[in-house]
Amino acid sequence: MVTAISSLKRPFLALPFLLPSLSECAAFEFRRNQSSYRRTKQRLRVKPDASFGPSLNQFEDHIIYNPPSSTPSIYHTPTKFLPPDDIRRSLSTDASKNQDNTDGLPTVFKKPAEKKYHLTPSDIEEIRRLRLNDPMTWSRWKLAKRFDCSPMFIGMVCEASPEKKEIQKQVLEAVQSRWGRKRRMAREDRQLRKENWGRD
Amino acid sequence: MKRLQLLRWSSSALSPGFRTGSRLQRNVYAGLRHQSSASPALQAENESVTEEQPPGQPIRKLSPEEQRLHLPSPPIKAARESAKLAALHGRLYLPSRLPLETLARTLVDPSADPNPNFNNESLAILGHDLMTYYTSEHLLCTYPRLPLTVVFAAMFAYVGPKTLAAMTREWGVEYAAAPGGEVDPGLLQFKRMAPGTNLNTDTAISTTRPNPDRKSWRHSLSSRIVYDDEFGDITTESNTAVRGATPDQASASFVRAVMGAIYLHAGRPAAKRFFEQHFLSRHLNITELFNFSQPARDLSRLCAREDFEPPVARIISETGRKSRHPVFVVGIFSGKDKLGEGAGGSLMEARSKAAVAALKGWYLYSPLEVRVPSSTEENGAAPWKPVHVDLGEVIV
Amino acid sequence: MPVQGIRTVSAARNGVGAFILQCKRIDFHYCDWAGSSRGMVGYLKHRLESFAKENPQIEIRVSPRPQKHPVVKGHYINGREKAICVRNLDLQQIAQKVNLLKEASGEKLKRTKKPVTSMNESVRGIWSPYHGGLKTV
Repeated sequence: MVTAISSLKRPFLALPFLLPSLSECAAFEFRRNQSSYRRTKQRLRVKPDASFGPSLNQFEDHIIYNPPSSTPSIYHTPTKFLPPDDIRRSLSTDASKNQDNTDGLPTVFKKPAEKKYHLTPSDIEEIRRLRLNDPMTWSRWKLAKRFDCSPMFIGMVCEASPEKKEIQKQVLEAVQSRWGRKRRMAREDRQLRKENWGRD
Repeated sequence: MKRLQLLRWSSSALSPGFRTGSRLQRNVYAGLRHQSSASPALQAENESVTEEQPPGQPIRKLSPEEQRLHLPSPPIKAARESAKLAALHGRLYLPSRLPLETLARTLVDPSADPNPNFNNESLAILGHDLMTYYTSEHLLCTYPRLPLTVVFAAMFAYVGPKTLAAMTREWGVEYAAAPGGEVDPGLLQFKRMAPGTNLNTDTAISTTRPNPDRKSWRHSLSSRIVYDDEFGDITTESNTAVRGATPDQASASFVRAVMGAIYLHAGRPAAKRFFEQHFLSRHLNITELFNFSQPARDLSRLCAREDFEPPVARIISETGRKSRHPVFVVGIFSGKDKLGEGAGGSLMEARSKAAVAALKGWYLYSPLEVRVPSSTEENGAAPWKPVHVDLGEVIV
Repeated sequence: MPVQGIRTVSAARNGVGAFILQCKRIDFHYCDWAGSSRGMVGYLKHRLESFAKENPQIEIRVSPRPQKHPVVKGHYINGREKAICVRNLDLQQIAQKVNLLKEASGEKLKRTKKPVTSMNESVRGIWSPYHGGLKTV
């Protein structure tokens, strides 16, 4: 757009950098430094956004909602969180909550988990029995696969036997004992950074 | 308000008695105390009387300067002679109805003078209760949804001992090297702790808390409201008269005593004005007091409790996710409404920060017209209208 | 416990609620004999009383310093002090110097580059490249 504007103002031949072939064929002593102050200034002269100016076709007094290009303030309570008798509930304009393509945004997780509630008490007894009797075969993940639920649910329903916990702890220690200094420090730093997420 | 002992403070604070002869005599017989003066102004007059007296000498009539040396804290009439004290009175713009004598008394810590008629203990108890009352009503009415742990932290930030010690420094109050009758009454007087004293030997005040001797037992939040002090700590009592006090403890009791003295001499409106000008005007960013451990879980519990749609994390924008340092902007939506958003280097980080933002948006709700209960105490005040009371924080 | 509180200390904003004058003490040193103290002695005789009455928040100390030039010294709440030698100055000039000491904050003099410094966060927030409507150029 800038080039179009500037090309209207002056003949094309006055701007040799726009025409690489022409500028190349020009003699070396006539070539000028492209990044002169004036040219940079001209290129940066961008028209303000249309929403900043007065709208010509609308002659009603209304609030222009133009959110700043920054993360929203923490102190701004979302409309949904306002109590029902708060006056700000009615004041919020359509523009502020205009998330027109909310459903079109991709979710962070692959698919939102829908709950099925299909397991019966007998199934849960079965899960507990399997995990207690043969914890090496029936891990949380395998149980979740078999009963078509999440590993989280398996963890909520039953707990691993102390022997299994002990074995798992030893496995973890064995793995960690092979870490060198760099890897150990990196893991520790990662843990510290993670703790800082909550006090953001 | 806890620990309000009306009879005690009103009798001892409003009628400053004179030192009894028996107490002075006791001091004289117990042994003569010669201290180096911490006050340069009074040093010159005291120089003539600092020579040691042999112990076997019979008691003779002591000159006023000598009598001062045996007192644990400056006498009452010294308050009118101290330039420091008058300057402090002027610097704080204290009401003229608050006499210099009371201001001098607020500067005497119980560790310097154990006599309750001459130290600031009673004034400090009153001032402490007033300060915590005004602070807590301000916090609860301004941010009705604040979780209790954050209320405790905010109380600590406004009127905690560390803040009061900082205020003492900002008011330009200096510490006396050692307390004594010859010291300038404009200096904060307290007995210093010996180096290497163990600070954790404070004995807990007997409360009605069951099993107080079980230190390792978990103290639930509800029990901390009922049994513990306003910062969520176990109420302890240290024997400062014997062991001495830290500068922080002495400064805290001084500021509290000033508040109590203003209340007693100038009345409730003046005390409230003093509180608003010196305490509420301080800068505290409440958003920085939160520390969530599992924000996403808390948010989904909150939405389930309040009958909102379950929160869904959606990617609003991102820079190339295969690049060295990608940035994801994740928003948390409940139905059509956006609850919060956060940016982070990984999707989990961004989601976690967005959940923190949403939870803070819930907890930091503030009504438009905030009015505190103590505003109805004035004459001709509008009747009290109930404020917004929340269900409470999320319990997982 | 879902959320924990972080303990901090609130920061003072002198002048937002109450204002504490940062100068807590001014020392006046003079010499009875020397000629460079003539203006200082006049100031102590005629002006100091009214100055002290106008500024009750400042502690004032007057002490002789024989065979030396007169000095006015301000002590500040932050622990620093400022000393001004007032030799051969007349009464009016000394009054100006004393006023300067009274109004100083005690900090080292430094150039302020921004018209406003504030602890409050800005109304529009910190600019971020990932927010706001992206403008096509």
